[in-house]
Amino acid sequence: MAHSPGLLAVVRSEWIKFRSVRSTVIGTLIMLILTIGIGLLIGLAVKGHLASMNPVERASLDPIQVATGGILFAQFAVGVIGALVITAEFSSTSIRTTLAAVPNRLQLITAKGIVLSSVLFVVGEIACFIAYFDGALIFHGTIAALPPLTQGRILQAVVLGGVYLTLMGLFGFGLGLILRQSAGSISTYTSLLLILPILVFLLPSSWQNTITRYEPSVLGQAMRSTTGVLRGGTPVFSTWASVAILVAYCVVVMGAGVVLMQRRDA
Amino acid sequence: MISVEHLTKRFKDTVAVDDLSFEVKPGLITGFLGPNGSGKSTTMRLILGLDQPTKGRTLVNGKPYHALAAPLREVGALLDAKAVHPGRSARNHLLALAVSNGIATSRVDEVLDFVGLSSVAKKKAGSFSLGMSQRLGIAGALLGDPPVLLFDEPVNGLDPEGIRWIREFFRKLADEGRTVLVSSHLMSEMAVTADQIIVIGRGKFITSGSVDELTKNAAGTVLVRSTNNAKLSAILKDAPASVNEINDEGMRVSGLTAEKIGDLAFSAGIAVHELTPERASLEEVFMDLTHDSVEYTQSEKGTN
Repeated sequence: MAHSPGLLAVVRSEWIKFRSVRSTVIGTLIMLILTIGIGLLIGLAVKGHLASMNPVERASLDPIQVATGGILFAQFAVGVIGALVITAEFSSTSIRTTLAAVPNRLQLITAKGIVLSSVLFVVGEIACFIAYFDGALIFHGTIAALPPLTQGRILQAVVLGGVYLTLMGLFGFGLGLILRQSAGSISTYTSLLLILPILVFLLPSSWQNTITRYEPSVLGQAMRSTTGVLRGGTPVFSTWASVAILVAYCVVVMGAGVVLMQRRDA
Repeated sequence: MISVEHLTKRFKDTVAVDDLSFEVKPGLITGFLGPNGSGKSTTMRLILGLDQPTKGRTLVNGKPYHALAAPLREVGALLDAKAVHPGRSARNHLLALAVSNGIATSRVDEVLDFVGLSSVAKKKAGSFSLGMSQRLGIAGALLGDPPVLLFDEPVNGLDPEGIRWIREFFRKLADEGRTVLVSSHLMSEMAVTADQIIVIGRGKFITSGSVDELTKNAAGTVLVRSTNNAKLSAILKDAPASVNEINDEGMRVSGLTAEKIGDLAFSAGIAVHELTPERASLEEVFMDLTHDSVEYTQSEKGTN
């Protein structure tokens, strides 16, 4: 009989699926618009305040963080896209049709992961580079002028902006694999990003400083930081330690998702 | 060829499939029959590897489903016509399926044409009626031109014309030498569609055979008219047989053959005017066979 069409065929199939429904396409556009648009708004707002800032505030100002600040909003879009890639299959029960065509569940998840991360990486990088250039234009000639991309830390910060969005998309995908329903996955993802920090805020401040740096969005800011501290002086992990921790989150969540997916009935 | 071997599927506290074994042979339409909740759909999901069996196994062309290199080229299945992303067009749905199994994309338009959906190929699957969805599901099952096909309750939602179309379609598939398994809870449907029937109830194998065999083996009734119906009735009841509808016209006797009734009447000196064996209809056989399992599914929640 025919030999196995292999992973590449499944990736091509998943790519057709990704681009042929409105939710994922619109989600990706929203991520692009939020990264660029909010970055623009934050940039203009900060520019307006530059003159009235005290020296301490000025010292802690990290222009690249400001230019890529739209990521703090776009991270919700990528989580939704990541979750929907799998939960939409469960809510429509099309997962049965999919698994009848691709019974190797690990292969299916791998293919979905490849398509998702490729799209998010490409669009995420485009968004972050545009956001950088917008920021460079806005702060041109001010005290917060953005260094050129040829400066290693700046290029690294911009590239890691796209990497962060990609990883958060995979995190959402992992939650989707575990929870299998859109509403549950999206609200869990949102809670982890929004409500967890509020709960941490209720803790004694010594604990806060320890725990805050583990929050995904703080890790993301650390990845783009050129100063090593956040506004307000919260210490953060180094760039690569932050990347490693975020990757570890994704590995844990997706690993659990893969195990459950292998075990459960469709 | 499909083999189901000692298949058991247990959900929390219900046994959906209970030590079920059967084979489905090529070149025939095999009806898979049982009341709602008897485990037909679960069995089909197990054959397709969607659910893990608690015990036993299923093979398609001698292999477990997950060992098939390009499953759609070996097995076509329509389990749930609505198992399609509602926001994706019919064509893209089929295209993604075809690509995943290395099936030529030209095949997508062929099957769309075959099921009569070409004109709505670009419409979202979610806007389809149940009948159209069934056709889309059939198109998906045919994509890989597979030698084995499974259909779960395929006539649901089809209009009479569609039902006739699908019957002729099954016949064509079987005549081409394919293995065709069609589930239904309607005996009447199976009687006109299937060559071979497998009956299950409560997840258990009940019987299998051709339509003729099933009705032949079933206890039929005998219509008896005699000079003394009342007396003969008493004798037959002692035989023992069950006797119904005693009136001037005669009575219906079950549990005894016509020959035996004739002999009993003769020895009692009663002249018999009519002695007509009445074969049970397939529907009656089915009701009789699955009676216990129907009661079960009505008192407990059925899984389908």
